[in-house]
Amino acid sequence: MEVLSLYRRIFRIARSWQAQSALQHDTDSERSYIVQEARTLFRQNQQLTEQESIKKCIDECNARIEMGLHYRNPYPRPTYLPPMGLATQKGRKLRTQQKLRKQAKPVYLQSQDET
Amino acid sequence: MASVILVRCVRGARAVYHPALCLRQGGGGGVRPAAAAAATTSLLARRDFWQQRLVQAPGNAQCVQWRRFSDLPPLTPESIQERVFHVLKLYDKINPEKLQVTSHFMKDLGLDSLDQVEIVMAMEDEFGFEIPDVEAEKLMCPQDIVKYVAEKKDIL
Repeated sequence: MEVLSLYRRIFRIARSWQAQSALQHDTDSERSYIVQEARTLFRQNQQLTEQESIKKCIDECNARIEMGLHYRNPYPRPTYLPPMGLATQKGRKLRTQQKLRKQAKPVYLQSQDET
Repeated sequence: MASVILVRCVRGARAVYHPALCLRQGGGGGVRPAAAAAATTSLLARRDFWQQRLVQAPGNAQCVQWRRFSDLPPLTPESIQERVFHVLKLYDKINPEKLQVTSHFMKDLGLDSLDQVEIVMAMEDEFGFEIPDVEAEKLMCPQDIVKYVAEKKDIL
């Protein structure tokens, strides 16, 4: 199953992770962060049964892995969208806004909640 | 005096010597520099060298083994099983009392596939060699793990 191989891949990455700053405590905290994130997110999404949501989660996982490996930074980069950022002249209602915001969320932030 | 010490060294080396292992450089505590330099060329050369020294200087029969080469203690199935159990007891989702040799992870201990992946990763860390995904899926109880590790290490 791809999910289990992804899980294993994350653990292998975490085993040999070195922080960009090369400080020991940074390395340790980032390693534990990776492991913790993986555990919580995988447990949360364990019960999903729809193919598309599973696929979305797998995409998110892959995106985060690749970005983390490329930038040597395991934390996802939050994007900022002001409250009425996507408003047009026509659609200034709340529901339209929420729909648009959900569409505009990048794939690697799907599991994070909006503040 | 030097030859006596050398003979004692050789006797000690012969006592621990295992043809399959390669002697590590920094392992021998007080290897004489000359002997070490001469013996590092190859394993065969080393063995011949030691044979020569033995033949040349037949020393006293007592062999006080005060040389220790650095290597891991030999693996036996019991030691593998102990280590596996130790690791499993450290895992917090497992109840240590319920742990048996043949307790299935999913059915008896109530873990799920993600936990099984974590356990297999812990075993990889413990024994120091990688377990491929295909094999790791099949390891479902401590007995399987012990058997797999023993196979990999060519014990059984």
